[in-house]
Amino acid sequence: MAVCAAIVGKENSPKFFCCVNPDEELNFQYKVLSSLDIIEEKLNPTNKPGTEIKELYLGMLYSLETCKIYGYVTNTKIKFIIVVDSSNLQLRDNEIRSMFSKIHSEYADMVSNPFYTPGEPITSKLFASSIKNIITGTV
Amino acid sequence: MRSSVSYILSSSTTEPNMSHPDYEQFSHDHAAILILLKHIGSQLKPKTFNKFYDRISKINEVKITDSTGQVRNITVRFVKEHPVENNDWGDFQTHRRLLGLVSLGKYDSQTELNEVCRVHESLKVKYNATLYDSRCVLFGPAKDSTSGSPTDVSSSSEDTSDPKTTVEEYTTPSNFKTRALFYEESSVCSDLENQITEFINSLFWVLESKKLERSREKLERVSLLYAPFEKKDFVGLDMESRQNKKRCTGRMTKHLGDLCLQAGLIAESLQYYTNAADILKGVNDWLWLGAAYEGLAAASALVLYPNMQRNEHFQRIGSLPEGSPKKPNPEAHQNNPTVVRKNIPNVLAPDDISKRYREAIIHYSKYQNAGIIETEASFKAARIAVEQNHALQAASFLQNVVYINLSLSEQEKIQRFETLADLYTQIGFNRKAAFCLRLAATRYVSPQNPNPNWSRCYTLMLQSLSGHKLLLDPIEMQEADQGWAVLQIQILQDLIVAAKRAGYSALATRHMTFLLQTMWPHLSPTEQKELAIQLQSLSVQCEGSPVPLVLDSGVVVPPANLTDIPLCAGFVLRDSKPHLRPKVIEKEKEDTGPFLFTPIHFGTGSLDRRKDKSNPKMDFLWVENEVCEVSLKLINPLPFELKVSNMRLLTSGVVFESVPETIVLPPDVPTSLTLSGWARESGELEIAGYSTHALGVKSNCRLKYMSNTFPFMYKIDVVPGLPVLQISTSLPQSASFSNFHDDNIVTSASVSLYHGEGAQCTVTLTNDSQIPIEMLDVTISSVLEQNLQDEIFRFDEEEVKRLLPLLPDQTATFTVSLYAAANFLAPNTATSPSLPHELNSGLFSSMSTSLPGNSLSRVNSSFRSSNSGHSSLAGGLTALFQQQPISSSAVEAQLKLRYSGGAGLESQHCRTSTVFFMVEMLPSLQVTNWDVMPAETSSQFYLVLDIINLTTQEMELEYAHAKCMLVEAQESCRVPVPVDRCPLSKLSDFYEEYNHSKTSVDVDKICSEHIAEQVNLKWLLNATDSSGLASLKGITLNSRMLDVVRMSPLQWDVKINGDAIHAQEDLSCEAGDCMELQMSIGNSLETSIKELALSVQFYQDYNNGTLNYRMDTRLAIAGTPKKILSVLEPQETASHKCNVIFFTPGLYKMDIQCYTPDGASVSTGPLINTGHVWKFTPPVSIQVK
Amino acid sequence: MADDILLDLLHSEIVQYVVGNNDNMKDEDLSTLEYIGFSTGYRIIERLTKEMPRFKDELDTMKFICTDFWSAVYKKQIDNLRTNHQGVYVLQDNVFRFLSRLSNGKQYLEVAPRYVTFTCGVIRGSLANLNIQCLVTAEVQSLPSCKFHIQVQRT
Repeated sequence: MAVCAAIVGKENSPKFFCCVNPDEELNFQYKVLSSLDIIEEKLNPTNKPGTEIKELYLGMLYSLETCKIYGYVTNTKIKFIIVVDSSNLQLRDNEIRSMFSKIHSEYADMVSNPFYTPGEPITSKLFASSIKNIITGTV
Repeated sequence: MRSSVSYILSSSTTEPNMSHPDYEQFSHDHAAILILLKHIGSQLKPKTFNKFYDRISKINEVKITDSTGQVRNITVRFVKEHPVENNDWGDFQTHRRLLGLVSLGKYDSQTELNEVCRVHESLKVKYNATLYDSRCVLFGPAKDSTSGSPTDVSSSSEDTSDPKTTVEEYTTPSNFKTRALFYEESSVCSDLENQITEFINSLFWVLESKKLERSREKLERVSLLYAPFEKKDFVGLDMESRQNKKRCTGRMTKHLGDLCLQAGLIAESLQYYTNAADILKGVNDWLWLGAAYEGLAAASALVLYPNMQRNEHFQRIGSLPEGSPKKPNPEAHQNNPTVVRKNIPNVLAPDDISKRYREAIIHYSKYQNAGIIETEASFKAARIAVEQNHALQAASFLQNVVYINLSLSEQEKIQRFETLADLYTQIGFNRKAAFCLRLAATRYVSPQNPNPNWSRCYTLMLQSLSGHKLLLDPIEMQEADQGWAVLQIQILQDLIVAAKRAGYSALATRHMTFLLQTMWPHLSPTEQKELAIQLQSLSVQCEGSPVPLVLDSGVVVPPANLTDIPLCAGFVLRDSKPHLRPKVIEKEKEDTGPFLFTPIHFGTGSLDRRKDKSNPKMDFLWVENEVCEVSLKLINPLPFELKVSNMRLLTSGVVFESVPETIVLPPDVPTSLTLSGWARESGELEIAGYSTHALGVKSNCRLKYMSNTFPFMYKIDVVPGLPVLQISTSLPQSASFSNFHDDNIVTSASVSLYHGEGAQCTVTLTNDSQIPIEMLDVTISSVLEQNLQDEIFRFDEEEVKRLLPLLPDQTATFTVSLYAAANFLAPNTATSPSLPHELNSGLFSSMSTSLPGNSLSRVNSSFRSSNSGHSSLAGGLTALFQQQPISSSAVEAQLKLRYSGGAGLESQHCRTSTVFFMVEMLPSLQVTNWDVMPAETSSQFYLVLDIINLTTQEMELEYAHAKCMLVEAQESCRVPVPVDRCPLSKLSDFYEEYNHSKTSVDVDKICSEHIAEQVNLKWLLNATDSSGLASLKGITLNSRMLDVVRMSPLQWDVKINGDAIHAQEDLSCEAGDCMELQMSIGNSLETSIKELALSVQFYQDYNNGTLNYRMDTRLAIAGTPKKILSVLEPQETASHKCNVIFFTPGLYKMDIQCYTPDGASVSTGPLINTGHVWKFTPPVSIQVK
Repeated sequence: MADDILLDLLHSEIVQYVVGNNDNMKDEDLSTLEYIGFSTGYRIIERLTKEMPRFKDELDTMKFICTDFWSAVYKKQIDNLRTNHQGVYVLQDNVFRFLSRLSNGKQYLEVAPRYVTFTCGVIRGSLANLNIQCLVTAEVQSLPSCKFHIQVQRT
């Protein structure tokens, strides 16, 4: 179970933020923001050839004492970020992957929603609850 | 990266912490000789010291040829501070030892010199354990330029201090055993570099000798080297054990590696490190293994990246675009190292350097007391990763730093974050850098910090803005509109607090303004309210104004304007009042062209459609020196009352004087406000927005930066000054008027007139301006047809012209004449067949007797019934009259005055004022029916009129000269009006032109006009003393009437018994008498008449509408009653005679007529068309007794 | 299958709706149609690239458009892809789905632009969301074959 998920747009501004514990939101926002540096670096095309990541899933971006941050970037340069509590040891990489994949599906559906203009913050309540269910593992 | 078995190998932390972290360390520093460059004494200015420090630090590399002839590359690191405790780790890593000391001091007197020397000596004592040599640079007082070069007083190092007092006045104390270098502060000190190089040389040789000394020691015999905290761990251990022997050897080997590295023998050091690592790994000596790895990595880095340099700590300037992070071209370094590496064995590959560092750090992390070593190693590793352009590596090393648990002073913690921020910036991790800067900033003011420094905190906060995509310029910020709003808001709030606490109230106000301006949409209503209140209290300290603020660091904080508090929902330039609008004097162009729609094809590049900006150029004009107004609609978005003061228009172009306005806006209710001012010149004026003073902040709100869509600016042409005319009339104003046709109306005049009545209106003009009126152009316009309009409204254009010029404050008048023109004729169908019978047939019977002066009111009803819908007019009156011929009507017209003068006239502009005229026309009288009768004399006829008084008063009607009658209100009367018959002269044109096929209407018209000319019905209403004239214009006549009205072309001469008959004369005779009847007709036309039949006929009128023509039994005619004339030449007279005998008495009538018989061929004149009959009128009546 | 024809029918109705009764073939305003395509492409690409590995470069992306993307939308692949390696790509479909039912030759050639505009927009929208800004034009010489020219705009 993750504690936080974020969707960040092409130009690195937040489109959606979901926190299991709303009190920690600001704290996580800082962490997610910082993780963008690493995502950018990982996608940097000037990196040495052969090192670029073919998968959309970027793996763990960095870990802090309290949490681990995972990243996923779509082909359209939309970033999904999941924050997992460091104490949560049973969460395996595969499960993180599957979470991202579900989030991606939700997002693709969101983009097909005529009431959503790509690039705007996502305000759909249905979407918010779906994401929350995904990260809390209730689906 | 840290070992999971943290601290297990560390003893408890009773040991005082080893040293102070040196975050600035590079791996290259492993090879450097550490020299402390110390500022001593109080005389030397810090600036001077820094100048010399910079100069000396440039000598960081010296090539020294050793005893074997090999050139050694010796690097030096100069530091300003060196905690003596750091020397404790000198055995562990020799580059930590302070080997040299150069102190700089200044003196003006011997006493001061002594003091400086004493301080130097005490420093030597302090660093005694590691110091190899020292120098003391002394700046003496300015003296005669006798000695150019510094005087070397001491001969050799250390032992001999030979105070040779040569030319010096001042001497160092006898116990001063350092080589002193005397300089003048202002001189060039040209050999300073040489002296320092020499000093480094001396240090090298000491180092070299120590190294040799160490390397000659037998490795099996060496004593164990300790890290400071290890000492007690080895107390009582068996140093002779195989394990410990190896440990000793390994550590010493590593130590030798350090020394070799410092002595410029990289290849040897690599060898030593490699060996040491092997040995130490075998004995699980993690700490020293780590050090060996680190040494290996450092030495390799030195080989691979010889040019890696400490970059000058540059001051980041927030407002400047963030310099692209240092990303050296990867190839630039990779080519070089591969070549070098081949020559030197044991050099690590670039990737292995990081790997070794990583291992070293993991080993260090097992020891709590090695925290600083670990921290420093992380920084060094990160710097290599930066050099390798391997950002993620660098990031992971930097991330590690944060985990290391060190008990550091606040200052050291701050430094740590600042260094992290710097390195993060270098790898382009701006967000992370910003995060670290913020942490550093908060440390400056943390409760643990004994010396909170809000100013530093503010500076760092400011630097962290760019990492959060916050730009200082609200305009750029809004354009970019990207970033993490939630965090940005918090960061700005922190920044504001820092600015406030640091005492930068202007900046606090500015940042708060910025926050409200840029983050407004992201704030909750509560936040909006709270922040607005905060801004209000901040601006009490220092009012915000739209000027850039410049910080000491050179950072420029651009102005922040509250363009949306209050929110502008409408910005409309107001045209002047219609009558004051300047117009171009030339004929106004009709805007007739068809509206062309040009579809614009946008290849939209994004998902949102483009905004359309409306045309900013106004199509109306403003006038110089007259009030110009702009209407604003403002919305206060805050939940409390907002006072906005000093609102003015922001303009460019011509000089504009704006009137400041103050308004209090209730929450959320759109409020309208008018901003006004005067343009003081003519030309184009640009209005870019307005300025406000709200929440204590002065803002220049420019339309182009507002969130609502406005044009960038509005443009309007200002024309030169024009005069202003005030207009009044002598008539009362009308209660209401329609301004459907003209909205320039300034006043109105209304009057009620009875049809046919006239009135005068005096129009008074006053020049209300300071500009003379030099042009005045008056016209009247209405919906009426021109000729009718001219009848109703008249003025004298010459009179108007005479008024000019109308000087300022002068008054002039002119007169407009009004006349209630009307059609006084009831729509009559005199020519139609539906005419009542009486008129047609009964005309000659009963009426004829009673005509003169008698009222014929009994037939009124039947006459009126002849009113029918269609017009009896030949044109000239409008529908207005036709529809309501009897009831009152109102006529509206506008008196337009176009005027101009002064400069405005020169620029071809004028103004138009309009006076609205309303004439209510009341019906006075109406001719409901009419007919004609022959008069007593053939030169005249009677026009019989049925006239109805439509007023509610008694009317005195003068229908003919000296003939009056009174008509009661709403009553009718019948009056006979004697009228001269229409002379042939008037008709002559017609006769002549007959052949050119004119219709008989023309005859009607001529006769109708003749009557209208001749007859004027004067009426007077005694009660209201109003009088008028009714005209019969447009009266219609049928052909029978026409015969009466016009002079006959045939002249009659009828004689009975030889006596001429006079009209209205009664003849009498006896029954049985023979009457001789002689009739002659003369042709008064200028053409001949052909085929005429002249006949006489008798009949009796029973006065009941029956005419009896069957006279065979009552009379007999001798001779023919009918004579045919084949042709009657002009001026020719034809006559005919016959006799008549009446058998029975009675009243007989004789009808003498002349006609063209049926079937007679053409050729007769127009008047004599076939079947046309002329009668001798009136019929002669004969009383037979 | 009925669902295949559904898109064709819907598409031709959209064309009809947008073009309306305009008889003026010259300078016809097809920008609305293009925009509908753009928006569609921008949205659908998220779904179509969901399971795709990250694209290496521009050419890799173009290949995806020619194969997977085209198959998903038009049930066939692009027949020929050519590039000058300087940002110009020519995608040739020999039997373009929206033209295949119109004619086989030059008949209706003048109305062909109406039936390729939407697709131009779809391509442009898809690439825009994949961060490739470009201009897309179509060239029809003989129905039902169609060439799409993609010109990448480099900043």
